[in-house]
Amino acid sequence: MSNNANDREVIVSVKHVDISFDTGGKKKFKAVSDANFDIYKGETFALVGESGSGKTTLGRAIMRINPCSAGEITFEGKRISGKISKEEDRNVVRSIQMIFQDPAASLNERATIEYCVSEGLLNFHLYKDENDRIAKVDKALQDVGLLPEHKSRYPHEFSGGQRQRVGIARAMVMEPKFIVADEPISALDVSIRAQVLNLMNKLKAEKNLTYLFIAHDLSVVRFIADRIAVIHLGEIVEIAESETLFEYPLHPYTTALLSTVPMPDPLIEKNRKHKVYDPSVLDQSGAPREMKEVRPGHFVHCTPKEYDEYCAKADRLEKEKGVR
Amino acid sequence: MSENRKIVLSARDIEVQFRVRDHYLTAIRNISLDLYEGETFAIVGESGSGKSVFTKTFTGMLESNGKISNGSVMFHGKDLTKLKTDKDWEGIRGAKISTIFQDPMTSLNPIRTIGSQITEVVEKHQGVSKAEAKKQAIEMMERVGIKDAANRFDEYPFQYSGGMRQRIVIAIALSCHPEILICDEPTTALDVTIQAQILQLIRDLQKELGFTTLYITHDLGVVANVADRVGVMYGGQIIEYGNVEEIFFDPRHPYTWALLSSLPQLGVKGQDLYYIAGTPPSLYNKIQGDAFAPRNEHALKIDFKQEPPFFKVSDTHYAKTWLLDPRAPKLEKPEVIRDLHEKIKKMTDKGGAFHVE
Amino acid sequence: MDMENTNLFEFAEYDELESEHIAAPRYSYWKSVWRTFFKNKITVGVAVLLLCIIIFALIQPMMSGYSPIKTPNINNSHLKFLKPSPEHIFGTDHVGNEVFDAVWAGARNSIIISFICTAINMLIGIPIGALWGFSKKMDRWMIEVYNVISNVPFLLLAMILSYVLGAGMRSLIITMTCTEWIFVAYFIRTQVMIIRDREYNLASKCLGTGTWTMIMKNILPYLISVIMTYVSREVPSLISYEVFLSYMGLGLGTTNASLGQSIAMYTSYMNGYPHLFWIPVSVLAIISISLYIVGQRLADAADPRTHM
Repeated sequence: MSNNANDREVIVSVKHVDISFDTGGKKKFKAVSDANFDIYKGETFALVGESGSGKTTLGRAIMRINPCSAGEITFEGKRISGKISKEEDRNVVRSIQMIFQDPAASLNERATIEYCVSEGLLNFHLYKDENDRIAKVDKALQDVGLLPEHKSRYPHEFSGGQRQRVGIARAMVMEPKFIVADEPISALDVSIRAQVLNLMNKLKAEKNLTYLFIAHDLSVVRFIADRIAVIHLGEIVEIAESETLFEYPLHPYTTALLSTVPMPDPLIEKNRKHKVYDPSVLDQSGAPREMKEVRPGHFVHCTPKEYDEYCAKADRLEKEKGVR
Repeated sequence: MSENRKIVLSARDIEVQFRVRDHYLTAIRNISLDLYEGETFAIVGESGSGKSVFTKTFTGMLESNGKISNGSVMFHGKDLTKLKTDKDWEGIRGAKISTIFQDPMTSLNPIRTIGSQITEVVEKHQGVSKAEAKKQAIEMMERVGIKDAANRFDEYPFQYSGGMRQRIVIAIALSCHPEILICDEPTTALDVTIQAQILQLIRDLQKELGFTTLYITHDLGVVANVADRVGVMYGGQIIEYGNVEEIFFDPRHPYTWALLSSLPQLGVKGQDLYYIAGTPPSLYNKIQGDAFAPRNEHALKIDFKQEPPFFKVSDTHYAKTWLLDPRAPKLEKPEVIRDLHEKIKKMTDKGGAFHVE
Repeated sequence: MDMENTNLFEFAEYDELESEHIAAPRYSYWKSVWRTFFKNKITVGVAVLLLCIIIFALIQPMMSGYSPIKTPNINNSHLKFLKPSPEHIFGTDHVGNEVFDAVWAGARNSIIISFICTAINMLIGIPIGALWGFSKKMDRWMIEVYNVISNVPFLLLAMILSYVLGAGMRSLIITMTCTEWIFVAYFIRTQVMIIRDREYNLASKCLGTGTWTMIMKNILPYLISVIMTYVSREVPSLISYEVFLSYMGLGLGTTNASLGQSIAMYTSYMNGYPHLFWIPVSVLAIISISLYIVGQRLADAADPRTHM
């Protein structure tokens, strides 16, 4: 797909995926259309969009919670969407884990932390004996900065940040290869967010993980992601390396999203332009749109006419900022 | 600045307690605050800091198990803490002091048309005829940016998007010409691209109508966008307040430092973000000394023993930390937030990551 | 003094993990349930009363040896229709038997039957209902089964079964369980559907948790409170079913004592000797109401929102 595809191993590949939902009537609601991208091993790939953009739906399709209505998703080269064998199912469940948005809703309130963290171990019998299981739970809790004494506690006794870390420990104990993190910090208090982001980075490095990081906030994504896909109303509009996207944003929606990131500086923020995305600036000729590579590794969703415009814009930005 | 401006509302030594089971929890611990006419004051704090509870004392909307156990709120020569019944509050709550909440649906009636909900408020507060009220309601809808207001007058809330609904809530809140508008996380439930528009709308209307705005938010970006003055809340107290530039560029309380430092906007990829360990204090435990001390890596021994008083930084800027005591060791704010303005300027100027052309 | 003061302005030691400790005492679900339950004095009083009634109802008939077909005093007119007095606490009936004995023997059978039926209905209804709520495939045909069964008139079924199986405890239990379980299952199904798609269940699914573990660990623990509410209504309502069927002659038959039997038997003497009728009815009412109150309070206590 891109120039570095040769030397980088693809772990998850989303191939022309559509996801539709029944709305009761004859019409189907298309939440995601023609999503097409690869996630490389060891990177943090971010999916950024507003609510209703389909970003969570797509994340859940990779988790195999939502079925794809077209296209397929592969993991380590094997198809995981649709029906797969029981054995493969077990393998995929272990290898792909999820971190949920709301730590208050995603933990079983009637189970102890020990059970919450052991759940996956128990399902797959990933331990030698009881002592080994306890040791694994203790280790997982310590890895996320919690204490072994927390095992006998219940989720409601913890603060939001601690609960989210339990959620992370529960996923990590499975020794997964790939993690879908669906807005993992947006439900947390501001003072807690940084800790969870650091933790995710630390674990990624230690355990050689790959993340799909779903978010609505570009400032968070800039800090954590290697590559970013911007999604708007079910369509991915731009994919690029993180630095590239911030320095050379091409699609008007990306620019609008960039302008909404609040800056912690009253002198600047009060005079900052907040762009509103106006789809009428796009090519209205009705020509079909597809993902096109404007620069190596930098894709934009465009018609042929727009493609030329984006190329020109990239040229201009490069000239202004010095060649990349 | 403060001397010659008119104070519209003055809260003194407010203490609020909640009865939960057989315990009394103190949610607000002695807050004093003056609001000046026409200004925008922002209260920043995390959930549980008491920011919403505090402002609810201005409208008498505390939950039934809560009570103001001490202090006074003076507004137009009346002590609002003495008001009890809904009748006492008539003419103040929803009239002179209006509130916009996070979720617009909490303020809208789902089974009545948008138009009738605005008209009702106009009729009640301005005593005009039905036809006149409708005319004003449509005007108000246009003013808050509803296109084609006359046609959308008879639609129901579910036919409006989240951002539109919040505009309607603003229209309702403003159609009784309040003197104070309390905005309780008005944009948290909205999409990022809508947020800025709503903030801009409130600011424009404030310029036009001259009311005083009190923001409650956890988002320092919103604060930077809207505020003239800022109060930082932690553990049921305001721990630092001052003009917005003072709070962002010369913060003095370690908690304010920590809040600013941990913003992902300031993060450098590949390095750890600054973070605050631990969790906000639980109201179940009695707080001794400085509430932030257990999470504060710069805590002094005295912080655990004795509550600090407010130290004056400038005529407008005060902070409640022992670090400002002459006996305390000198300590500079963390590296990340030094020269904040220069750093942000670099990010937003041409070539920066957040430059908008 | 000054020395001390300057020392106070030194930096304190800072341990990050210190702030992770939870100060609150350990929480235990069942301990909290019992604590909440026993906190209310009236509830405890009613529970003690209920316990006494149940124990007494189980023991007293063994000592009296009462049976409606034993009528040793039938020819002794001095012992018939006596008003309640210290010697004859509830008085005597038309055949000279102690009403006291009759009522307790009846209460015993009624309580035993309602408890057994409730247990059977719950044991069948809860697992089936849980699976029913969980599986969309099963829901499609189960709902049809439910529609059919719930439309069979209960009285008709009771009559047919009593003809086929004859009167007696066994057939009464079958009558009161053979269709009743599906109502329990339907109730559980609805409750399960409410919480089935919550995010923590999705999380369990992502961890590879199977349906049955999910039901046992994720779903049923959340339903303890509503199940208890259901039971607290089911037991008294089955007692009144029993009374009703026995009154109609479809219940235990004339050879066994039961509250329904007694009430049916004594109704005809209501004008002359009203105590004969009102005493068993009152005992029935006291048992039902106290069962209901205790059950409700237990259900409340089982709701973690009441634990503080």
